[in-house]
Amino acid sequence: MEQILANGLYLGAQYALIALGLTLIFSLMNVLNFAHGQMYVLGGFVTYTVVGQFGLPFIVGLVASALILALVGAGVEKFLFRPVIARSKRDESTMLLAAGIAFFLDAVILLVFGEKQRGVPKIVGGVLNWDFRIIMPYDRILIGVLAIAMIAGFILFMQYSRAGRAMRALAQDRIAAQLMGVDVERYSMLGFALGAMLAGLVGGLLVTITGINLGMGGPTSIKAFMMIMIGGAGVISGAIAGGFILGMMESVGLTLLAAYGDITYLVIFASLMIFLAIRPQGLMGKPWG
Amino acid sequence: MRSILGVTAFLLAVFVAVPWLIAVSGRWDFYYTLTSVALLSIASAGVWLTFYIGRINIGQGAYALAGGYVSAVLITKAGFGFWLTLPLAGLFCAGLSVLIGLPILRLRGVYFAMVTLVLTEVMRLTALALPVTNGAKGITSIPLPGELSVFGLVLIPDFASLENPKLAFYLMAVTLMVLCYGALYRIVHSRLGHLCRSLQQNEELAASIGVNTAWLRILAYSISSFFGGIAGASFVAISQSVYPSSFQVADSVNFMLNCFLGGLGFVFGPMLGTLVLYFGWDLLFTTGRYQLLIYSSLLIVLMLVLPNGVLSLLDRKGVRR
Amino acid sequence: MSPIIEVRGVTKRYGGLTAVNDVSFDVEKGEILSVIGPNGAGKSTLFKLISSFVRTSAGEVRFRGQRISDLAPHVVARRGVVRTFQETTIFRAMTVRENVIVAHHLRSKATLAGFFLGTRAARADEAAFGASADDIIGFLGLDAIRDEMASTLPQGHLRALGMAIGLATGPAVLLLDEPFAGMNHDETMRMVTLVRRLRDERGVTVLLVEHDMPAVMKISDRIVVINFGEKIAEGTPAEIQANEKVIEAYLGSEDAAIGM
Repeated sequence: MEQILANGLYLGAQYALIALGLTLIFSLMNVLNFAHGQMYVLGGFVTYTVVGQFGLPFIVGLVASALILALVGAGVEKFLFRPVIARSKRDESTMLLAAGIAFFLDAVILLVFGEKQRGVPKIVGGVLNWDFRIIMPYDRILIGVLAIAMIAGFILFMQYSRAGRAMRALAQDRIAAQLMGVDVERYSMLGFALGAMLAGLVGGLLVTITGINLGMGGPTSIKAFMMIMIGGAGVISGAIAGGFILGMMESVGLTLLAAYGDITYLVIFASLMIFLAIRPQGLMGKPWG
Repeated sequence: MRSILGVTAFLLAVFVAVPWLIAVSGRWDFYYTLTSVALLSIASAGVWLTFYIGRINIGQGAYALAGGYVSAVLITKAGFGFWLTLPLAGLFCAGLSVLIGLPILRLRGVYFAMVTLVLTEVMRLTALALPVTNGAKGITSIPLPGELSVFGLVLIPDFASLENPKLAFYLMAVTLMVLCYGALYRIVHSRLGHLCRSLQQNEELAASIGVNTAWLRILAYSISSFFGGIAGASFVAISQSVYPSSFQVADSVNFMLNCFLGGLGFVFGPMLGTLVLYFGWDLLFTTGRYQLLIYSSLLIVLMLVLPNGVLSLLDRKGVRR
Repeated sequence: MSPIIEVRGVTKRYGGLTAVNDVSFDVEKGEILSVIGPNGAGKSTLFKLISSFVRTSAGEVRFRGQRISDLAPHVVARRGVVRTFQETTIFRAMTVRENVIVAHHLRSKATLAGFFLGTRAARADEAAFGASADDIIGFLGLDAIRDEMASTLPQGHLRALGMAIGLATGPAVLLLDEPFAGMNHDETMRMVTLVRRLRDERGVTVLLVEHDMPAVMKISDRIVVINFGEKIAEGTPAEIQANEKVIEAYLGSEDAAIGM
């Protein structure tokens, strides 16, 4: 039981970080970032290159992932989404643009990093064994703690920094924020950069444990979508809740349902549909039309 | 009158001109390409119909996959003939979409789009997990479609006995396509279509004039999924195999893309879009490993230049839909 | 004769807030009845309760003796109680005529499958709807803009189109949501005439929610006044104008003076 909870927490922390980035972008620009999983994969490959190829310390790799993804995010917002949003009349256009970007990043990753599964050596060795109730390698614990620290850092940033407050105002009411003198373009770009950076950071964290490969992008995006549907799209607390709930469900499912084959996600999706039928706006989302 | 001429010209082109051109030029490989286009355009037609009620559907791959498996399982495990499994696959998908649609069709905009996207992935996982679908190994060596006869009258000969099954598959796919688009055209131009449009434009107002919006949404979605199911089943018949990866998220996105490229206000748009995109992708094959890069770059440029679809070109010239 | 609409103890609570509290009144067949009240009095909520776009917390609305509250909105419309919208809610990407034709949905005798197959009944329906739509368009004076796209119409025409859509469903009772909002004096007077003709020539019972006092006084057979979610008065325009409570309620609010 303790083991399941510990695994769930560890998974949930990663998931929550991914969902936070996605929900931030969604709340600021009403854009569903299909390329979020690809950004995560790209972040993983950057850390792999820095740590595995150049032999630099892990923390350098993590910082490099964060910076490069932030730049990618900012560029994608400024040169792609901004002009399309300004001229498009329907939701579909930004969705297709996002899909195009996802394909594009896939192609870039394929050309630059190849198809192989990549990983970096363990950053710390050893396994925690608490009376055989919880058995967990120290590197997982470290990554889990780092992820939770990043979530806390993100919340503090959104809560207390000037930029964070501006972005929250923007998410709540774009026009009102504009009237209040918030520089909409600048903070949209910043928000997109921040969202992409979070995805990249998780990629950098997880490359030390599960490794990374090209095929992980799409499924990661889909998990992220499920999380923000559970928690309510565009709500920060919802993304965190969704991430931890999905992590916990996955952890419980993998243990309890293992006997019936690989049906965890089937069960999760079925429950999600029933849940959405009762509460279409998700746990923390505001009711909408 | 003009429309009758147009339809006749189209039918002559696909049933007479194309086979003749292929026979003359000897490019038999085109049959496979055109068959694929015809079948994919059927699935795209379904996506287009969901667009028509104002829902962005990125889940058609799920129904294509389900349809493919239904047909494959019925043929290999229950000994059904292909021609019977084709409508059964469609009906199965329609029924499934009612169950799935009841909760999710209440969602709108990006929310609906998100759930449908997840649906494609879940269908893949289902195919991996269920015993009857044979996991990642998939179902292979599915026999070719057999004879279809009514009261001893042979309507369709056994594909395995044919000299040229490629031509037979092409004719089958094109016939299905013509039937589906004919049905879609009738739907759109009958009262049903007007009601779908009313739903697309304002659901509250539609309810206030007595339209059972929930029911109409389910109806349109199940027709859409029916199209997806028969397209999937036909595809499986051609490749004689089906795997969990036969239809993926990328396929679902492409179906949406076909509709968007061809135009959302135009019944034959998805057919046009599928043709252009499929041939475009095929042409890029020669670029080898840069294929996806060029394709996605073109897509992004297209969105930048024409964020409202190709048909928005017509709007600019002041032509009304 | 029993009233066509009976509102019985209707209540709507949102969390701790009571928007409409135990309101009861009748609407007689063939009358024009207005519900008025200061801003935020709960008129809008009451309107949505009657048209069943919102579920009641308590009480019920009956139409010809049968309960219609808490049914799906389209079912209420099918029974014959049809609402229009305050905001300019129309089918934007259709022409005026298409808007009115599609609104004939309730009157179709053929099934959707019949329409798909183009059966005789379906074709008869289509022809009848076209004729009826033209009749309604003429009735509301919209002939000149019959084939215009709805999205291009000016405000005044949109309101009339909304009414045409409501009328096309063949309602027994038409619920009008602030039909005079944002209109100048001339437009208001034209609309007053139109609503009267609706009742006189088409036999439609009209229930409207409005805060334009002069227009309400002119048009209504009877008036129901609500304030803070509760009914404070009911009667003919003359009775309402003399009612102490009503004057008090309106003096309490900022600008709307009781009219004429």
